[in-house]
Amino acid sequence: MIRVLTDWVKSSNKLERLWLLAKIEFKLRYYENKLGLFWALLKPILDICIYYVVFKVVLKSDVPAFASFLFIGLIIWNFFVESTVGTIQILSTKKYLYEYSNMNKLEIYVSTLMSNSIGFFFNFLMFLLFYNFIEGESLGLTIYNIWIVVLFVNLFILSLGMSLILSNIYVIAKDITQIWAVVTSFLFFLSPIFYSLKTFRNALPSFDYGNPIAGIIINARAIMLEGTNPDFTLLVWDIGYSIVLLIIGFIALNKLGSKAAEKL
Amino acid sequence: MISMEKNYAIVAKNISKTFHISEDSHNTVKHRLFNLFNPPRRKLVQALKEISLEIEKGECIGLLGRNGCGKSTLVKLLAGVYPSDTGNIKITGSTMLMNLGVGMSHELTARENIYVSGSVLGLKIKEVDAIFDKIIDFAELSNFVDTKIKYFSSGMTARLGFSIAVNAGADIMFLDEIFAVGDVKFQEKAIKVFESSWIDGKTVILVSHSMDVIRKYCKRAAFMKNGELKFIGETNKAIELYLEDNH
Repeated sequence: MIRVLTDWVKSSNKLERLWLLAKIEFKLRYYENKLGLFWALLKPILDICIYYVVFKVVLKSDVPAFASFLFIGLIIWNFFVESTVGTIQILSTKKYLYEYSNMNKLEIYVSTLMSNSIGFFFNFLMFLLFYNFIEGESLGLTIYNIWIVVLFVNLFILSLGMSLILSNIYVIAKDITQIWAVVTSFLFFLSPIFYSLKTFRNALPSFDYGNPIAGIIINARAIMLEGTNPDFTLLVWDIGYSIVLLIIGFIALNKLGSKAAEKL
Repeated sequence: MISMEKNYAIVAKNISKTFHISEDSHNTVKHRLFNLFNPPRRKLVQALKEISLEIEKGECIGLLGRNGCGKSTLVKLLAGVYPSDTGNIKITGSTMLMNLGVGMSHELTARENIYVSGSVLGLKIKEVDAIFDKIIDFAELSNFVDTKIKYFSSGMTARLGFSIAVNAGADIMFLDEIFAVGDVKFQEKAIKVFESSWIDGKTVILVSHSMDVIRKYCKRAAFMKNGELKFIGETNKAIELYLEDNH
């Protein structure tokens, strides 16, 4: 693992290459369809409309600033899903990059997640605009908002780890795609994305510690909507999870991923 | 010790490769679970028996052998594309494996592929900028710069690949029957490049069934048979062994 890392940092054009691959990936995703980049912004807003109607209008949820509550939860969740579900077959779709050269496969992952980060950045900008100018119950910007950087790094590492694990399992077991689809829908409904934290904690005590993505969403709301510090115990747990998963991911890449060229 | 190592582009010690080919596709979780106590019948194909070899920096070495003798497997191991089952390989520098196609995405345009390939081969963006027109001109694709590769004919794709390889090039190039690319006119151009100073200073591993090509460019050649490295050394001797094997 250390060899992989040092090898990766050593060469000088690597950052440039990562950025080039990320830009092309981003362009491929959004410029292919007619709506283009506009779609990247429209998608979360449409999602929010749907959930808003279901949970606020139909089910009369009592969460204050519910649209913003959904907004921040969904953009974090979408990043996680795009970076895991969206990358399971990455070693197959990006085979052209490594089957004719000795390029480090880790770069393929990092560049794809960087491309997703660009998308997240736009979504987050939309959230800030919405929260500060449209949301009626907004607190405005606070100093606690800065914590989003830490939470995003946490989210990035978590997604990278899961992405490495899943896509390398894919090398030997193709139906991981279907299995992960079930697991994500399980995680989606067991993360407090559209119900309040209180309801969530009453029903499933300490489950926020068992679900790494739930903790990130809970903390993001604390710093963006509630004007408080993040829950530090939860933050430490989540960072712990993501580091452990990343290490498992590196092991998977070395053990299984090295055979990708001959197996896929 | 260190100065000695510096002169080698590739040092391989006791590398081997065996492919496990299972008769039924055993690659889903379901299948693995239900057949936990009923392992698949596996066929072992030993593509490469233990091989050790050293390739010097800047040398052009030929690789000979009949179909199925393990040439392609050896090339993929030496290029770092396949992991070796045993032993170890030390590769100094970037590698590029070239046969009829090189690593290009069909979803990307010629321009994007040139930048991606150039970058993968270790060039900076500015360096790719500098050779961009040369690559396009050589490949005779100036009207299709922003066309996706998937709309290219196979000849156009191959020419682009060759042109990238010639103009960007990795430190270590594995060339697998590359003189079969394009029409006669393009082949002449390719040979011309090869005869110019292009291969000077590059490490080239040349796989070819054309004895003329091997004899012309390689000082050393290796002869393989049934996954074994039978001989490595003087080109004429290797060719002799290869021709004997064909009779």
